[in-house]
Amino acid sequence: MSDVVNEGIGQTGAPQAAAVDVRDLEVTFHRRGRDLPVLRGVSLRIAAGEAYGLVGESGCGKTTLALAVLRYLAANGTVDRGDILVDGRDVSTLSEEELRKWRGEAVAMVYQDPATALSPAMRIGDQVAEVFRFHQGLNKTAAREGARESLRKVALPDPEATLRRYPFELSGGQQQRVVIAMALAANPRLLILDEPTTGLDATVEAEILDLIEELRGRINAAILLITHNLGLVARLCERVGVLYAGRLVEEGPAREIFTDPRHPYTMGLLRCVPRFGMNKSDAALQTIPGTLPALGEALQGCVYSARCPMAQPVCVRREPDLHAWPGDGGPRARAEAEAAPADPAAWSPHHASPVGEGLRHARCYFSAEVPDMPATTPVLSAPGAVEEGRAGDVLEIDTVRRSFRDGRKKLVAVHDVSLNLKRGETFGLVGESGSGKTTLAKCITGLIAADSGTVSFEGKRLKPTAGRRSQAALRAIQMVFQNPDSTLNPAWSTRAILTRAVRKLDGGSGSSVRAKVDELAADVRVEPRFLLQKPMDLSGGQKQRIAIARAFAGDPTLVVCDEPASALDVSVQASILNLLVELQASEAVSYIFISHDLAVVRYLSDRIGVMYLAELIEVGSAEEVFNPPHHPYTEALLSSIPTLDLDDSHERIPLRGSMPSLSDPPSGCRFHTRCHRILGDICVEQEPPLQEAVTGHTYKCHIPPDELLRAQTEVDPLAESIST
Amino acid sequence: MAEPVAAGRTAAEIQSNADAALEQRRQRRYLVHALLRSPTFMIGTSSVVLWILMALFSTWFTQSPFDVNPMDTLQAPSAAHWLGTDDLGRDVLARTLAGARSVLIVAPLATLLALLMGTTIGLITGFYRGITDEVIMRLVDVLLALPVVITSILILSLLGQSVAIVIVVIGVLFTPLVSRTVRSAVLREREREYVMASRLRGERSWFVMAREILPNITAPIIVEGTVRLGYAVFTAATLSFLGFGLQPPSPDWGLTIASERLFVQLAWWTVIFPAIALASLVVGVNLITDGLGRVFSK
Repeated sequence: MSDVVNEGIGQTGAPQAAAVDVRDLEVTFHRRGRDLPVLRGVSLRIAAGEAYGLVGESGCGKTTLALAVLRYLAANGTVDRGDILVDGRDVSTLSEEELRKWRGEAVAMVYQDPATALSPAMRIGDQVAEVFRFHQGLNKTAAREGARESLRKVALPDPEATLRRYPFELSGGQQQRVVIAMALAANPRLLILDEPTTGLDATVEAEILDLIEELRGRINAAILLITHNLGLVARLCERVGVLYAGRLVEEGPAREIFTDPRHPYTMGLLRCVPRFGMNKSDAALQTIPGTLPALGEALQGCVYSARCPMAQPVCVRREPDLHAWPGDGGPRARAEAEAAPADPAAWSPHHASPVGEGLRHARCYFSAEVPDMPATTPVLSAPGAVEEGRAGDVLEIDTVRRSFRDGRKKLVAVHDVSLNLKRGETFGLVGESGSGKTTLAKCITGLIAADSGTVSFEGKRLKPTAGRRSQAALRAIQMVFQNPDSTLNPAWSTRAILTRAVRKLDGGSGSSVRAKVDELAADVRVEPRFLLQKPMDLSGGQKQRIAIARAFAGDPTLVVCDEPASALDVSVQASILNLLVELQASEAVSYIFISHDLAVVRYLSDRIGVMYLAELIEVGSAEEVFNPPHHPYTEALLSSIPTLDLDDSHERIPLRGSMPSLSDPPSGCRFHTRCHRILGDICVEQEPPLQEAVTGHTYKCHIPPDELLRAQTEVDPLAESIST
Repeated sequence: MAEPVAAGRTAAEIQSNADAALEQRRQRRYLVHALLRSPTFMIGTSSVVLWILMALFSTWFTQSPFDVNPMDTLQAPSAAHWLGTDDLGRDVLARTLAGARSVLIVAPLATLLALLMGTTIGLITGFYRGITDEVIMRLVDVLLALPVVITSILILSLLGQSVAIVIVVIGVLFTPLVSRTVRSAVLREREREYVMASRLRGERSWFVMAREILPNITAPIIVEGTVRLGYAVFTAATLSFLGFGLQPPSPDWGLTIASERLFVQLAWWTVIFPAIALASLVVGVNLITDGLGRVFSK
């Protein structure tokens, strides 16, 4: 075991200048009389000025680690072992008073939801100034000046006006900028970003990423980025640590780990993200079978062995160490483990995390074989989507409009949208939040009534609300919802949920219902034993599978999927998407698939519609919409996705300003206020025509297709024109 | 494909299934233990249980709460009368213990009535919203604006006084508060996706209300119920103190405090013990509420 890097505690007298040094951290939660280990000997170091990404599925302990570093663990969490040094200071030795001071001066954390990080009752100016007053002891005017300056630093437009606003008057992106401004106000030594862009739209996310990237140059803080989005880490971080079940399973330079992972878990994570441009007819998505072990579950040997496609008996015999890669640590340790008496319960000896520029480590006996890891799903996928023989329109939507009242104002959430859908086809609907995707979906299913326009199904006009539709119409159009935690009635058992759906939608009684329920559960790959349980006892993926089974109870013709996989981890997301593709192939069902994740939409859809401010601005085949010529908004949206492809050759197109209000949409072209290809007055004054690029691919813009194509395929399109 | 279902169950699966059941049982046991170890809950429960036992059985071992003894009026506590006697020479200990009976009939029944009516109204208004909601909730506002005690007195003097009418009056007057709580829970719940799914299945409204939503709002209803129970005890006592409700010679606490208060300077024990009894019951109920809340929020 000599090549396990032994820079352990006590062996190196003076460690390198690490801003953060976590050594062998063990954190346990105590819940209802049980001890649940969350972190099991995690060590990591982050140098000043370095950005370190921590990735892993939810429940791996990422946030717990961050909170432990800040000594912010919930009351039922304890640090059982290990040291946390920030700038050489042992966090555990601080008194309450020192801790308060230290948290204000040396560390800062940016949380996922900016809306809850800001006090809704205080003006932005007062909140930001507070940091300067309490932590730097400035007087009122100086603090105010500091606040103004810090808002300027995070590139908020019109800082003076922003100071006087309340949080609800700012958009999500602006709120997150304010939170970042507050975090940086005290010049922290350590900045923790916990899913900083998860709740934000793609274009806003891109702006925040730009900001963080730019600020990094100016502050000399260590950054700990916690995220499930590997693309984000690829873009921002030098080094990355992969956490699984409270264990660091791989660590090293981000670039190397993402291009050449040496732990099966990392490999699995990378494989289950749909690559951009991939389509369901190319290949099924890879998944990670099984689920993350529950907190407190007894683990034998390697924490990942239960889900690992490469696992061998030795992996369960004894846990591998975090060994250096490249090196022969893996094989040698394996030989040792095989020779040693079986002792699955024993943890391997603790090792301080080896740290050094460029060093890589993996916790696997078979690191050398990881590149050849077997696929978890057959690479061949579903057959082509639309069978030409049956290709009639099942759904026609004609100028549907729906508005809401907000006090005196009238918000048009869906503005004259028309589209049609063939049998067996998947129509992807993309757009940022507030663009009207979900409202349109609800108009189709009848959860809300359209104000005007018609929804026709198989040539017959549907009643506007579900309550007035026939049972046959209800059966034919079903919906899968976004939130796995509220999609199933928590008071019912899974079997009761499916039984009721079968009774109402499929009819029948007694044993035929029972048989149908079992069949549905088998179709969505939920094991029979889970039918006895309540939703609370199911994982997010299982809940969503049951929700899908429920929608398929009456053999629907159309299923509207509103972000069905967005709330799930990538590995689970992949298996849900695979399931949808499979069901489509066997049941010839049509989908309307709503998502903000463009790669996912691209993967699943035959045709795609892009919505902006309540209007459908572009419709075409997936291929066409994602390639020039396409609407300038689509172009900007596509450019904003952080991808794993590290060459980063694509130039990002920032959108100007923020999303206009639905109550007062811009005149002419709705996108003109933010468009980077604006022509001039014509865009402001006239509503753009529907241009047809090729048959079936239309977009709403004044620029004709050939000009648009030319502009969008130029090498360096508009670097200067938008720099202001 | 993704996660193949094994045809037969493996040993590991059966094991994990058994583990899950075990875990559930363990959790339930833990909750019970936590409640048993919670001083708040235990003190509250013992005080309430004690009063229930007294209401049922106190006459088995005390003197009669009704026997008038003109020779022994307003006696201080002594070996013969541990808590003394009142102005008619009745044993204060016997009357105080037996006094639990009336309040423990009136308050729970009134609370139950309020819960039944309030839940129904809350479900309907929260579910339908719109004009039904507007009309009913404005009526509720009007009811809420009325001072409970004064309104009760008015109604009782109009309808006559009986225990049944006291129960109905308190129940009706507490209904608006319950219906508000239930309504807000329903408003939250009806936006949940499982309710939307039931609408897409063509379920009738009553089914959605009673079968889908109601089972998921039991927690706020139970909490509201225990809070109301405390107030109902209080209100019942207040009404009998004011002479509306139970009539002499009932040993009811409110009534006793009212009739004996004239003698409080001469014989404090006639008033203080029923008052302590009343307070201990109200506090007991509130402690149970707190204890439940604390343990379940863990």
